[in-house]
Amino acid sequence: MYSTILKFELGYWFRGWMVFIFTAIIALLFFGASASENVRIGGDVENTNHNAPYVIQTYFAISSILTLLMTTAFASAAATRDFTYDTNQIVFSTPLRKWPYLLGRFTGSSIAALTPMLGVSIGLLIASIMPWNEPERWGPNELAPHIMGLLIFAIPNTLLAAAIIFSIAALTRSSTFAFISAIGLLIGYGFAENLIANLDNEQLAMLIDPLGVRPFQRMTRYWTIAERNTVTMSLTGLLLANRLIWLGAGAAVFGGCAMMFSFAERASWWKRRRATQAEQPAPLRFTQSEMPRVQISSAGAKAGGLIRAQFWIDLRETVLSRVFLILVAVSIINLTAILLTGATEGYGNNSLPVTYSVIDSIRGGTLLFLIAIVTFYSGVLVWKERESKLDEVYDAMPYPTWTTYVSKLLVMLSIIFGLQFVSIGAGVMYQASQGFARFQLGLYAAELLMIDALSLGFLVVLAMLCHILSPSKYVGYFSFIVILIVNAFVWFMLDWSTLLVQYGDLPSHVYSDFFGFQPFIESMVWFAAYWLMAAFMLGIVSVLMWQRGKETRFRQRFISGRHRWTRPLAIATSVAAFAMLGFGSWIYYNTQVLNTLLSSETQKDGQSEYEKTYRQYLGLTQPRVTKVDYEIDLFPDRRAMTFRGRQTIENKEREPIKQIHFVLAQNFETEIDLPNSKLTTDDSDLHYQIYDLDTPMEPGETREMQFTVKHETKGFEQGVRVMQIMPNGTFFNNMIAPQIGYQPNGELTVRSDRRKRGLGEPNRMAKLEDDCATHCANTYISNNSDWVDVETVISTSADQIAIAPGSLIDEWESDGRRFFRYRLDQPSLNFYSFMSARYEVAREKFGEIDIEVYYHPEHKWNVQKMIDSMRKSLDYYTKNFGPYRHKQARIIEFPRYATFAQAFPGTMPYSEGIGFVADLESEDAIDMVYYVVAHEMAHQWWAHQVIGARMEGATLLSETLAQYSALMVMEHEYGRDMMHKFLRYEMDSYLRSRGGDALKEEPLTTVDPSQGYVHYRKGSVVLYFLKEMIGEEGVNAALREIVIEFGYKGPPYPTSLHLLSALRKQTPIDKQYLLNDLFEKITLFDNRVVEANYRDNGEGRYEVTITFETKKLVANSDGRETEIEMLDFVEVGAFAKPEKGRKFGKTLHRERLQLKAGEHTHTFVVDEAPHEAGVDPFALLIDRVADDNLKKVTEKTGAE
Amino acid sequence: MKLSVNGLSKTYSNGVQALKQVSLTIPMGMYGLLGPNGAGKSTFMRILATLQQADEGTATLGDLNMLAEPHEVRKILGYLPQEFGVYPRTSAERMLNHLAILKGISNSGERRELVSAMLHRVNLYEHRRKHLTGYSGGMRQRFGIAQALLGNPKLLIVDEPTAGLDPGERNRFYNLLAEIGEQTIVILSTHIVQDVKELCTSMAIIHNGELLYDGTPDDAENTLSGKIWAKSIAKSELGEYQDRYQVISTKLVAGRPLIHAFSPDSPEEGFESVAPDLEDVFFSKIHSVV
Repeated sequence: MYSTILKFELGYWFRGWMVFIFTAIIALLFFGASASENVRIGGDVENTNHNAPYVIQTYFAISSILTLLMTTAFASAAATRDFTYDTNQIVFSTPLRKWPYLLGRFTGSSIAALTPMLGVSIGLLIASIMPWNEPERWGPNELAPHIMGLLIFAIPNTLLAAAIIFSIAALTRSSTFAFISAIGLLIGYGFAENLIANLDNEQLAMLIDPLGVRPFQRMTRYWTIAERNTVTMSLTGLLLANRLIWLGAGAAVFGGCAMMFSFAERASWWKRRRATQAEQPAPLRFTQSEMPRVQISSAGAKAGGLIRAQFWIDLRETVLSRVFLILVAVSIINLTAILLTGATEGYGNNSLPVTYSVIDSIRGGTLLFLIAIVTFYSGVLVWKERESKLDEVYDAMPYPTWTTYVSKLLVMLSIIFGLQFVSIGAGVMYQASQGFARFQLGLYAAELLMIDALSLGFLVVLAMLCHILSPSKYVGYFSFIVILIVNAFVWFMLDWSTLLVQYGDLPSHVYSDFFGFQPFIESMVWFAAYWLMAAFMLGIVSVLMWQRGKETRFRQRFISGRHRWTRPLAIATSVAAFAMLGFGSWIYYNTQVLNTLLSSETQKDGQSEYEKTYRQYLGLTQPRVTKVDYEIDLFPDRRAMTFRGRQTIENKEREPIKQIHFVLAQNFETEIDLPNSKLTTDDSDLHYQIYDLDTPMEPGETREMQFTVKHETKGFEQGVRVMQIMPNGTFFNNMIAPQIGYQPNGELTVRSDRRKRGLGEPNRMAKLEDDCATHCANTYISNNSDWVDVETVISTSADQIAIAPGSLIDEWESDGRRFFRYRLDQPSLNFYSFMSARYEVAREKFGEIDIEVYYHPEHKWNVQKMIDSMRKSLDYYTKNFGPYRHKQARIIEFPRYATFAQAFPGTMPYSEGIGFVADLESEDAIDMVYYVVAHEMAHQWWAHQVIGARMEGATLLSETLAQYSALMVMEHEYGRDMMHKFLRYEMDSYLRSRGGDALKEEPLTTVDPSQGYVHYRKGSVVLYFLKEMIGEEGVNAALREIVIEFGYKGPPYPTSLHLLSALRKQTPIDKQYLLNDLFEKITLFDNRVVEANYRDNGEGRYEVTITFETKKLVANSDGRETEIEMLDFVEVGAFAKPEKGRKFGKTLHRERLQLKAGEHTHTFVVDEAPHEAGVDPFALLIDRVADDNLKKVTEKTGAE
Repeated sequence: MKLSVNGLSKTYSNGVQALKQVSLTIPMGMYGLLGPNGAGKSTFMRILATLQQADEGTATLGDLNMLAEPHEVRKILGYLPQEFGVYPRTSAERMLNHLAILKGISNSGERRELVSAMLHRVNLYEHRRKHLTGYSGGMRQRFGIAQALLGNPKLLIVDEPTAGLDPGERNRFYNLLAEIGEQTIVILSTHIVQDVKELCTSMAIIHNGELLYDGTPDDAENTLSGKIWAKSIAKSELGEYQDRYQVISTKLVAGRPLIHAFSPDSPEEGFESVAPDLEDVFFSKIHSVV
């Protein structure tokens, strides 16, 4: 019997189209992901093969989530088919037994639901034989990853989801409930992910992920490129356990369902109570005379009344429907969870609940729901009368068609508004619950009630039209989703960057407390008006094509539509059409005539041309800037600026200079005044100019030149290109000045972009082995200046403070504008910022040095912290590295369109979006603000005094040393315990990032500036370990030496090797091996404790014996590891039981041993009961499996 | 006032010709539309009820060109479709009130009065707060007639209204219609011949989209007078009889087939002449024997 039902079920699905369409969709998706450079899903990155086992398995994980809704369709249809088609009475009266019936249906539909996942393999296989493939990105096609992908993800996840959905559908006999539970499953999953992310118990977290993604990620997180390309994750360990647990859970759910299921005919269990069949009513009576006379207005009902009536009845039914209530409830739960778990800012810090970040959380938590609700209910409302078979009664009533459309549209808009109000309420309550009283209700309203509601409104109009034109509800849903997806991607793929073609899209914007929405408003308003007109016309089409009556053919509907095409409608339509045309032209004029709109491809073409045409001039002898006087006039109100510079240039080379080349800033107008020269090349497309000098510049000769860089905001742009100049919160640096000589930083760096344009591998910095005599002439920041003197006169509007590098010499007002004169006290790198805003300033003194924080008056939360950190940093750095040469240290807040902090001479711009709003109340968290400030302060030495030459490894001298310096400030402030937490974060971040590097991993001495995970993350770990080994004073002595030798000096500039040799001098002979291991190689350890036990010797003495293994490895740039000989210092140690609520126990023993690779046994005595013991207990060595370094100690009983 | 239909034709996109050049005139009173399932009755009624469009032909009600001015038709129309549903989660009263608004009864006081009178009239008043989804078939049909009668329609179209009603309810329902028919054009479709006989002053027979008869039921019967013959035969003989005679209907009487045959003259022995009833007319029309 089972096999009959199974065969029937399989036949049912495989004769239909659904399985094949779904398979095709998945195949297409993953074909696209691997055959095209533009589509990226999951783990497919530059250096990994497109068909690497890791990538394939990740694809299966993703597709098993993507196909959840498909699984729902199969499982719920199979479970409810007999109820949907009312065949239950026939089927259930046959001598069926319920187990075979349910099991047959279940397995049949599960097999059907599994099939689409083969699309992953099909798509990849087809992609692997495409003629345009680059062979270096494709490994051999292997079977194993596909099989394991199916076994790990596809089969268990489909069975689990199908079991849950099938059971719910079979018991409720409703496919709607099944769909809701599928959505619930997805949300529950996201919710659980959030909770799991905060879970300390990693093992538990790995087990409770129902889809098995987390154990897979966790077990592969440190995989290197080589491993990703060759290793197939198999079903082992916690992954296997996880899969078994969840398969068991699925089986239990299904079993429970089968027990409860009964063939007996009945209404759905939750309906039973309601469906009381009416008792036989009294007979019909009838007399015509009883009827009251009523007036029917000859013109039919009034439109207002009709709309009102239809609106309320539709709204009521929608809002009261179970599905809606569940969707809203789930959405609110999800939102609450997101708000409560909060957006983590880094190092475990949360952001304060400022309104814009709460709005971001609300968007993250509800936008998908809103789109789902819009999609779902647009269909429900359009099809409502037809679905409830009321249409014949309804459509024969004498109301005008448009009133129905309008009322249903209003219902949708009200739902959107209602839900947004609920979200705002939740947001405000959350802020209040956190004791945060700065509710920016206007901001909530603008973001959620205007911008988002408008965008959703546009979607509603489109969705309703799709349903109106579709022959069935499902075609309606399908076409709407297809249009949404096409609309989202096709314009980008066609490289049409104007939003005038992307239905309903508004230009993007960033809110900032500094400038509100101001720079974006005009553009948004015009686009909104444009799309409103478009939506209005779609609305007209909707009314005309609204199906009234039983005619479904378009010809007939056109005829009915003609009856509705009245004069007022015709007038309104033409007005809208003209308005749309007018708005569109106005937008076009503003965005593409007054301003330029470059598509990203065009932009890249330009970059490619730039490199092809002018890279030949790289290294051409050019003069260098030695002194600049700026005269800057800012006009914040109209976002305009004139930036004038008079600079002294000098020929520091040994040959005369006949030509001077300039690279001009994009988006600005530049004029250069170079006396006694002739402009011979003026490439305005590529922003390149060449001047021939009338008389060559002789070696040692200096000249004066001037330039003017202007920005004037004209009309409005689609996206604001010059974000630097704002009505409040201007922040730009001097790189907008014309740069002397070819600048390689304008080149394309992404390999696929370069290949497409016939460029080779990205140009890298000079090799470390190369000759320092030529390559140490430039810093990695600048190739046309060394240490420069800067003086600035900057003016801004009367209510703003403008800041330029150096000490404030003078300040005055004239013509209602404010002027400032600044001068650098110490010649510095030619790289600094200019800022202007309505600031509040906090000032303190550190000796002779002014400590200043310039901030938005509302953002005073962390200002004191910043000042403390600056003070502590100055204290530590001046004591340990050398003097601070500026007379001030400034932190200056800038608007949140970017989130970083950056160090310029004496000034450190810091984004509104990070440190200023970080929530530092939490006891356990690492103080991120403190750390970032200390890091930027350290750059005043490491970058602004000692700056690396333009060679590999340059950032070791700046970023790694800044990282080390900040760590030291932190250690002195917070103690060693917090350091472990911090270092663990750094270590984890380093190990995780290795597999995703677009270049190949380099050791620290040859690190590329783009490899942040090496120079920041590995750098922190390595230098901290070195400090542990040779002592803080040893490291600092080396650093002092570097400052003395290279501080404010050069060229030649130092390389990483200079640092290495300074460190070498401070390192005892037995530890010299460390420098090579840590800086010049990729060294890893694989240490683990095998056994740990202790014996109570009485009198509070405990003898601990540990057996452990050590192993040292060296990795190549792909991450392929080779074991090497070892004679290294490794720590062993033991901890007491942690106090309640603490993570670490007291350190009982810490001892350094010099060990070879292999198994060791070591015994030591402690004077408290030990809890854990092991090898490298503080995880100072880079070890991909750090969890097995420690083990709980067991008591050894009995005599030996 | 009367309703004239001229040359009405309708072909569906699948090629089925639902109506072929139907012309007829419908006077005040009850008008029966008789035909087997799929004859085109519903199409005909839906076209008159503005829910479908004719390919050809005209329909006028008094001065009103019905096919060109659907909105005007809807104002004077009461329509009870063969099958209809209701909004979920909505009570009878709320639904009827809503339909009254759509009908154009905008004065809320009047509307309330009308709705309650109408619910009394079809005896659903006690059940007015119940959700319509919980109604039995009979109650739902009553609700249907209540909505169709809202606003005193001049043209009432009811499509197979008695399907699912028990005989008692059916009678009461017809009484109601008959009374309305005194002042209104009522078009009633059915495949139950007896209903037409009892109720209608005029009638039409439609089969395969063609109008086979248009007139009074009595006239219809008279045309067959003396031409219908009945005989009780053995089951095994049925095929033979069907070959030899124009058998228009067969029904079992006490387990034996009783056949009615059409013949201008007396057939062989054993046949008895019977007075033709409407059923004979119906069957002889649809079997194209006359």
